Amino acid sequence: MGSRLIAALAALLLVIPGVALARIKADETFVFPAGKPVRIIFFRPDVKVGSLGVGSVEEPNADWTAAAREKLSAQVAANQKAAGNEIVFLPEQEGDNAQVVADYQALFRVVAGAIAQHKMFPGASLPTKAERFDWTLGPGAAKLGEIGGGDYALFVSTHDAYGTAGRKVAQLLFAGMFGGFIPAGIHSSYAALVDLRSGNIVWFNIDPGSGGDVRTDEGATKRIGQLLNKFPTAAPRAAEPAPAPAQ
Amino acid sequence: MRKVAMLAAALALVAAPAGAYKLVAHGARVAVAKSEMTIDPPIDWNRQQSRPGRNAEAWTLDGIPLNEVTFYGGIEGGKALFKEVDRKNKPLPVFKSTMLTPDVVQLFEASYRIAGGSSLFEVGAVEPAEFAGHKGFRFRYTFTLEGEEVKRLGEGTGAVVGRKLWLITYEAPAIHYFDHNLADYRALVASARIPGPQVTVE
Repeated sequence: MGSRLIAALAALLLVIPGVALARIKADETFVFPAGKPVRIIFFRPDVKVGSLGVGSVEEPNADWTAAAREKLSAQVAANQKAAGNEIVFLPEQEGDNAQVVADYQALFRVVAGAIAQHKMFPGASLPTKAERFDWTLGPGAAKLGEIGGGDYALFVSTHDAYGTAGRKVAQLLFAGMFGGFIPAGIHSSYAALVDLRSGNIVWFNIDPGSGGDVRTDEGATKRIGQLLNKFPTAAPRAAEPAPAPAQ
Repeated sequence: MRKVAMLAAALALVAAPAGAYKLVAHGARVAVAKSEMTIDPPIDWNRQQSRPGRNAEAWTLDGIPLNEVTFYGGIEGGKALFKEVDRKNKPLPVFKSTMLTPDVVQLFEASYRIAGGSSLFEVGAVEPAEFAGHKGFRFRYTFTLEGEEVKRLGEGTGAVVGRKLWLITYEAPAIHYFDHNLADYRALVASARIPGPQVTVE
């Protein structure tokens, strides 16, 4: 029953910038199996864009959200193409398949919230999982692979709320009078790669202070570039240049 | 300015850990829920340090939203299961020592609807079951929390012994998690020990 409070706090962790105390430690050794084509199903990204007033009341903006979803999706496709990964956009589903997709997207949000809570905050770390990153959607996630025709699933979620003019004035006043800090807005995003044969989350990244204005092409490019910076590639990454020998 | 202060307070709230957890190591019997109920866990668990109620305690394996076991240790007559969320407008129902199984299940449901904000709550099968060597009950339930689309399943096992309610519940998302850890929960229930009924000689 504590789920409700925990879920609410985990959701806040995902959107409040500057509270991250630790980086997510996913399995950075994950590599795609060699010698086989990799098809990654890209699910409709969870995108929320709005404005944030003085009292921290958020107002969703449907136009900004629709534009950002389109720009971010295009950038994910470009980013993955450049990385040598094959992306399959999951088309809108109907009937039972639509329910399966919705159910797994909802479950993913809960698992992502648990990862954010227990892996970002050292104070909320689970002792039995402190040294492990073993989060899963369960083997039933294979159904997503059958529906979408792929071996892996890529989930992307972004949440942005831009400060109104009034909020910016309050920010300056608060800083000037009390030396305090009011965040200008909310800019957060996370992404995950799921192996659909096992349902395991094999790669996860969360960026609580995400850069890039997702309402612009340039900003969306920056956001996705930062978020998928260390995303696994089908082809080996170029080796880091060797350090120059000491003189 | 009041709004600014409220914002600062809200930020301070989220900057604090959402809840600390301590290891419950397997192989050693432990007292739970600030009560005389003891459990001998066959595997390691994580105990949430903040309590859902005065005589309640929550354990998890992968995080409270993914698998949660809650122990209610000897709830006395006149006491609620959880901490009050809105005592003035929506007080929680209280346990009565004369309650029978259907009354206890109804108390649980009513408490969840208030404390959990869950209007989508349904009780499934209710059946007799042994609990810590006493005649007790087992029931199933399903619910969806407000603001989420994840359907959760739950199972509760308990008994009224010594005029107190002893109960252990388990809940997890219906997809994968509930079935995956149901045996782990039942192993905890099977290990539960509680004090016997007190005999009063008039």
